[in-house]
Formats: sequence, structure tokens, C-alpha cells
Amino acid sequence: MIKNYIKIGWRNLKKQPFFTFLNTFGLAIGMAGGLLIALFIYDELSFDKMWDDAERIYRIDADIKFGGEENAFALVSAPMAEAMKKDFPQVESTVRFRDQGSMLLRKTGTTLNVKEAYGTFVDSSFFEVFGVKLILGDEKTALREPNTLILTKSAAEKHFKLEEAIGKTLLLNNEETYTVTGIVEDLPKNSILRNHTIYLAMSGLPDAQQNLWGSHNYSTFVKLRSDANIEDFQVVIQTMLGKYVIPWVQNIFPGITEEQFIASGNYLNYIVTPLTDIHLYSHRKPEMSPNNDIQNVYILSFIALFLIVLASVNFMNLSTAQSLKRAKEVGIRKTLGSSKGSLISQFLTESVLIAFISMIIAIIIAAFALPSFNELAGKAIKIPIASPGFLLIILSSSILLGLFSGLYPSFFLSRFNPVKTLKGTIGNQASKGGIRNGLVIFQFSISVFLIVSTLIVFQQLKYIQNKDLGYSKEQILVIEDAYTAGDKIHFLKEEVKKLPEVVNATLSSFLPTSKSRSSSSFFREGQTQQDQALNMQIWGVDYDYIPTLNIELIAGRNFDLKFGSDSSSIILNEAAIAILGLSPEEALGERVVYGMGFDDNKFFKIIGIVKNFHFESFRENIGALSFTLDDNAGLMAIKLSAGNFTNSIASIEKKWNSVAPGQPYNYYFLENEFNEVYQSEQRLGKIFVVFTILSIFIACLGLFGLAAFNAEKRTKEIGIRKVLGASTGQITYKLSIDFIKLVLISILISLPLAWYAMDKWLQDFTFHITIGWGAFLLAAFIAVFVSLLTVGSQSMKAAMLNPLKNLRTE
Amino acid sequence: MIKITDLEKKYSTEEVVTVALNKLSLEVKKGEFVSIMGPSGCGKSTLLNIIGLLDDPDSGSYRFNDIEVAKFNERKRSELRKHNIGFVFQSFNLIDELTVYENVELPLVYTKVKASERKKQVEQVLEKMGIMHRRNHFPQQLSGGQQQRVAISRAVVTNPKLILADEPTGNLDSANGNDVMQLLTELNDQGTTIVMVTHSEHDAKFSHRIISMLDGKTVAENILI
Repeated sequence: MIKNYIKIGWRNLKKQPFFTFLNTFGLAIGMAGGLLIALFIYDELSFDKMWDDAERIYRIDADIKFGGEENAFALVSAPMAEAMKKDFPQVESTVRFRDQGSMLLRKTGTTLNVKEAYGTFVDSSFFEVFGVKLILGDEKTALREPNTLILTKSAAEKHFKLEEAIGKTLLLNNEETYTVTGIVEDLPKNSILRNHTIYLAMSGLPDAQQNLWGSHNYSTFVKLRSDANIEDFQVVIQTMLGKYVIPWVQNIFPGITEEQFIASGNYLNYIVTPLTDIHLYSHRKPEMSPNNDIQNVYILSFIALFLIVLASVNFMNLSTAQSLKRAKEVGIRKTLGSSKGSLISQFLTESVLIAFISMIIAIIIAAFALPSFNELAGKAIKIPIASPGFLLIILSSSILLGLFSGLYPSFFLSRFNPVKTLKGTIGNQASKGGIRNGLVIFQFSISVFLIVSTLIVFQQLKYIQNKDLGYSKEQILVIEDAYTAGDKIHFLKEEVKKLPEVVNATLSSFLPTSKSRSSSSFFREGQTQQDQALNMQIWGVDYDYIPTLNIELIAGRNFDLKFGSDSSSIILNEAAIAILGLSPEEALGERVVYGMGFDDNKFFKIIGIVKNFHFESFRENIGALSFTLDDNAGLMAIKLSAGNFTNSIASIEKKWNSVAPGQPYNYYFLENEFNEVYQSEQRLGKIFVVFTILSIFIACLGLFGLAAFNAEKRTKEIGIRKVLGASTGQITYKLSIDFIKLVLISILISLPLAWYAMDKWLQDFTFHITIGWGAFLLAAFIAVFVSLLTVGSQSMKAAMLNPLKNLRTE
Repeated sequence: MIKITDLEKKYSTEEVVTVALNKLSLEVKKGEFVSIMGPSGCGKSTLLNIIGLLDDPDSGSYRFNDIEVAKFNERKRSELRKHNIGFVFQSFNLIDELTVYENVELPLVYTKVKASERKKQVEQVLEKMGIMHRRNHFPQQLSGGQQQRVAISRAVVTNPKLILADEPTGNLDSANGNDVMQLLTELNDQGTTIVMVTHSEHDAKFSHRIISMLDGKTVAENILI
């Protein structure tokens, strides 16, 4: 029986190549989109699940409010790890990371530095907690001794033949010599450790051995015993505050109790975050590598579902529309004794067959689109075509999708009354299509929803791009690792400033787009109660920093060489003085003291106030910030005049090579760095665009098919109308208007939904646009325009046929 | 075999009620060959559809082989139909996507006859109808006369007790029409009961009895043998 069904199904497909093409191609496009998104989501959900005992590994985080500043850190203090191991029997092992950002490495005895973007200090228990295996070296001894390191395979290959690497030495940042004690396979792309290629022994970091309970700098992971209860652990870990942190705070604020600390509105809450949740759920500072958001996974899942449903709806519509052609067959089969059930099975078999063929085409389309998709999504996904699990899923989803798409058409067709079908009077029943209209409305509602969403995402991105940041990010070239020029860096800066295309230049380790931050507690002179603290970021800058970045001073002055005492001057932003409760004028001349738990308490005189500028993502409020004079020279930011940047880059490189021969000349433009902060939004935006276009395409494919069918069905009517004198225009209008009405209804349905959803999305941004009518009008216009084009072309084609020919077809 | 009493069937649209069968009574005995004649719209096709269990009456009684079937549901009707009744239509009603062989095989598929047995029966009947050489052709590749032979083959392949023919020669030229009538006569001679709706006096002469209908009623009966 099934063989018979498949045979007929196949012959039917062959007989109507146009509709078969629309059906399979539409379904295949939808499936291909769905498949790519499914692979993407699968990859996102697989993060950090590859480690041994991944489900027992947790990161200890800290929510801190102190000095008017609230922070969600992915860090805790250095002594935390050891104390947890000592105090809590449920802790099996711990490991700390201290991120070092980018570093330069060269093989001892050579001169050429190689830059690695991410390096970190790590405890030797790394192997124990994560179960990382060395491909060369011994996990028991590697990373034990100070000044030893392990490298990933690809980082090591830049310097040595792999088998010779162990025991060799590398010079780190031109300063310290490290011995290679292990080589590890490149870390999995779906791990938060993916970016880190250099792991330095924590035992060589003096700060890591100190008991600074108030200084949060260590990304700390624990592996709990298998019988440990995570809820209990979450509760007991908070006892660390009273047991260790408060006694340490008492060094600065003698006699303070935990109750007083909390009563003053401050808090320090330890949070236990499962390792496998970090990638999609954690939005703390700083993350070891950029995370995604589970919300994006949801959004994408919806889009994938939309695409597939859209394609299925096409299928349903085209199948039921064509039912006239199948009606006779239904009538005959019923007359010959076929039951309704066996007719339903027959039509379902056909739709499963189509779904299956479509799936094969979809896999081919997906394979071709994969490189572009990977670029778009920032992934390295492969289609696991040889995996039995994947094939099973593909097979079963084709069947499910075929059943889903075929269900309505099969019931619709099998319901036909045999007497009527054989008499040929089924036409009216089959062609009215209330449900079909409903499905078209459904499709276009989704499409319009996606169009509006896309437009609003882009409006928000444009807003971010063009918003006055309070500093200028344009035409700023940043040279990385400026310190490698050694003492000559200041000379270099002056030389660069002399170049005609250079407006100004500054040396600092901090730029508004930098990811590494440090914040500290300050007090106004004479107000050193713990509830009067001012927690703020402190950026070491030079005299040229404020003019180069065009930051506005609203009171006071910039650092100036003329004032010898500016080494103890400080410039604050508006947010900082607001926490102190001072106006700009009041603040000038006041002194703040820096230090909490540090011996070298130091006074700074406030000499200037800068307007708030955006140095955090637009998702966050602008926090307290200060500038002090500092020789620290990690980055050189050079403001160029408009013109040919290629030449400027080359002439600056020449200068660089003359003062820092052999040191790498790495640069980037501040504006590009800025854009990276919004990478996830930009990606989301692009993904939206691609899949919106895809969904409109699928919807139009369906509409196209329906219009073609409609025109075909009304051939006789068109002929009669033309004979009676109707113009091509009138007939085109007549044939198109019903479809356009459906599209208009869709617009009415989807606009409020889109408004609601996008309003929610925008709430994630502290600084965002307000939704205007523009996006809605444009979306409505696009939908009407595209559907007019689709339907109109078909209708016109029918309207332009010779009427005699039309009538003869009857 | 067929005993119909006071059968009524109305078709209603929003404004008009059309009486298709008006308290019609009729009896057909086993082995008979009956023609039904009458002008368009007199209810002959409705009657044939009800006899063929494709449609149900509004009221009245229909006994088929002494079983009251007027109130049968779709499933029971279908069951009874596929084992007892064969249909021959004016427009042949072959499935275009199936070959001659597959078309004829179809009723056997629905009566769940085994594949090997099906092959034997289909080939037998195709041989008998003289279209064996066309077995792998599709209906559109055949002439009208050949298509009607296929349709008759399909109607008889299950050895039904009753064949209902709705203007079986309507789409055929006279030579092919005669052939078809000849075939029906032979079937009748072998014991199959035949009820035929026709406009053709010539065709009607092949039957034993002609029933004339007007406005949903039988108005005359003409026994030919």
C-alpha cells in the first residue's frame, strides 16, 4: 500500500513541476534556515559541557555594593579559593585564573615578539578541576614552579617544534623568562577558555599569595564533591563575609561589624554559578571570553520555528489550493471503496515524501550557506552529516514536518464527497479557502513582525553609533603594547605629534573601550566612614589624554606641565562628584584619599570635572571615574586629521620601527573597538536581516503560488470579463486586491505585537531610542510593496492573455 | 436484490429546495439488466448514486440483498460497496497518474487481496477485455473506447454482484459504444445485475426493462423481454 502511495505521490510531483518546485523549494529554504539555526543553538547549548565532571564545577562570583557603586563581578579575592577548600568539606578542588590580557612572547635568544591575545595566570590545580590533559608534559608537575607556563598547541608551534618545546624558555613581555612545562591541545571553541592560549604558573604571582579579602581580581572555580548539595553550598559560602572579609575591613574601619556594613546599604554576596551556565546566563565583569545571552537563543529559536512554520504553511496552502486537481482522484478512490483513513494516509505519505526531498535539498543549501552563516554568527559550525544521531534527527524531523504540513491538506482532501467530485461541482467548496486566507494572514503577520523588529534593532544600533559619547572615537589610531618601546615611548609620542597628519597623541593604559578596568575606594578628606566611600575607576593618563579624546571639562582644568604638583591631582567625572554629593564648583579644590587596606594612603586634590562620557556599554549607566597622572603606557592613542589613514599608519610605523626595532607594530582604530562592544547586537541585527528576508521570501513564494493558482482557476472569468471590455489594469486589480487585503490585515495584527516585543528588547539598554511610527510605516510599505509585486505580476500575466485562448481552455 | 420504497432526496440551497427523488419506489431482481431513462434533472443520477451507496436518502427504505442500508454510515456503506458494486461512468473516471494495470488493480487493493492474487485477477480481466497489451499505458495515452474498457475492467475485477453504469457510452462513438454495450450484455449473461442510466434509446434496448423517470418519480416501465 505504502509503495502504491509513494508511486502516485511521485507521479503527481512530476506532473506539476511548477507547484512541486514551489513546494519543495519553499520547504527546503525554510528547513535550511531552521537547520542552520538549530546547529547554532546546539553549539551554544554545548558550552563547557565537554569537561570531566562539568556539572560539578562552579564559578564563585560576587555581587558587591560599596562606595556608591554596584558591581556584578565574576571575580572574588585571592584567598577565597584556599579558604573554601579548608572550610567546606564539599569542595573537592579549586582553581583561580588571573587574566593578563594580551602578551608578547619570544623564544629566548631571538628578537621577534609574537603577540598572544589572551594569557592568564592559573593555579596548577587547573588540570584537576577541568580535567585538562597535556599532550606533552606532566600534569603533576606542570605549572607548579614560578615562572613556568603551558601553551596551547597552536601557540607553541609559533616558537618551537612541538616535541622540542618542553623545557625551552620564552621571554614574556620583554621582561620575564618562563619555562615551558606543558603543551595542551587547543581549547574547545565552545568553552569559555577558548581564547586563552598562554597559562602562567600562579605560584609566581606575589599578589595571589596575599590575604587581600577586599580586592576582587581572581576568577575562581570550585569542583564540588559528587554528593555535595549546591543549595547548601550557596548558603554556607556567604559565611565567608563574616569570617574573613569583615575582620579584614576592620583593619581600615576599626570595630565595624557585619551588621553595620549591611545596615549602611553595602553588600557583598557570593554567588555560585554553574560552569555550564556561564556562556548563556552570566553577564558579569569581567567574563573570560564574550558570552552570549539565552535571550538570543530564544529569539533565534523562534525565528527558526517561524521559518519552518512559514514554509509548512506554504505547503498547506499550495496543496489545498491544488485540491481541485486531486478531487477527481479522491472521488474515484472513494467510489472504489477507499476509506477516509486510507486517503489520509495516502496524502500524508505524499507530504512526507515532499518533506524528505526538501530536507535533502535543505541540507545542500545549508552546506553552501554554512561559511557565510559561520561568519555571520562568529562560529565554526560543521554539519555533522556522518553522525547517526544527526541523521536520525533529520529523518524524524522530515517525517514530523511532512505529517504536520500534510495533516490539514489530507483531511481537507479526504473530506470531499465522491458524488460531487465526480460531477465536478466540488470547485466552490475547494476554492473558497477561508483557512487558506487565515494561513496567508498568519504568514504575513510573522513577516511584518520580523521586518519591524529588524528595523528597530537597526535604529537602536544606529543610535548607538551616532550618539554623542562625550568623547570622540573617530580617527583615533591606537597602537598596542606601547611599553615595548621602553623609555623611548615618550620620545616616540613627541615624534608622532610632529607628523603633519597627527592632531594629538596620548599615552595611557585605559581607553573608553578597554575591557580591563580597575576600581578602588576613595574617601573625601575627613569623611572616612565606610558608608561614605566613593568606589570609582581610576585611569592613569597623561597631559594629552583629555584633549586627544576631546573629553569636555565642565569645571576646573586639565593636568598641566606648568603645575609641578599635578602628580597628586585628580580629575573626576560628574557621576563621581554626584556620589560625593558635591556640585562641580564645590568639588574643585577638595581632596580625596585613595586607599582601603593599603598602606600607601594618598591624597589627591580635585582640579577638574569632566562631563560624563560613555565608557561602558549603553546597557549600563555611566559610573564614577577619575583620571590621575601616570607614566603607564600600554596604549598610544593618536588623533589623526581626516585624510588618507593608510599613509598615516605607514609613517607612524616608520617612526615606531626607528625607536622600537623588532617590536611588533599592532594597531587598531578606536571606532572599530567601540563597535566590538556591540558585536552581539550587531550580529543579532544581521541575523535578523537575513532571516527576515528569508521569511518574506518564503511567504512571497507561497503567495506567488496562490496567485498563480488563482489566476489559473479564474481563466474563464478573466476571458469573459475581457470580452465584455475590461482592461488589463482592471483585471489585474480584481485578481490582486483580495490578496492585498490579507496583507493589510496581517499588518494590523502584527504591528502591536512587534511594538510590544521591541519595547521589551529596548528596555535592556539604559540608553535607547523611543519607538516611532517610521519603522511601522516602512514595514507596512515593504510588505504591501513586495506582495503587490508578487501577486501583481501573476495577475497581470493572466490579464494579458488573449481572451479567446482563455475561453477555449474550458 | 434491490428494493426501494418511498425514497426521498432533496437538495436545498439558501433559496431553493430541489426535489431530486419524490417518494420513489423500485425493485431490481438479481440477474436483471435495467435501464433508467428520463430528461436531465429528473433524478436518475441521484437514484443511481443512492443505489451505489455513494449518497444517502433523506427518507424511505433501501434494502440491498434484504439488508436495510438507507441509514448506513459512511464506513459501512464503503464496506458494502467495495465488495458488491462496480461502477462505470460516462467520463470513465480513471486516475490519470496510474497505469491501466494499476487502475484496474485499485479495487483489489482496497478489498485487501494479496499481491500475487491481484496480479492473476487483473491480468485475467485485462485479457478478457482485450487490453492486455496496453497494461503499462496511462489513461491519457488511450482512445476513449479503450479507456471505457479499462473502466469496465476495473468495475468487474472484484466480481461484483451489481454494476451501476452512468451513461457508459456517452463519450464514445457508435462503434465503441456498441462494443461497451456488448461487454455489459455478456456480463449480465454471466449473472451480474446491471443498472444503467442512459439517454440513448439504442443502448436501452440492450436491457430487459426500461424505467422512465420524471421529476423524481418513475412514470413508466417498459419490459423488453
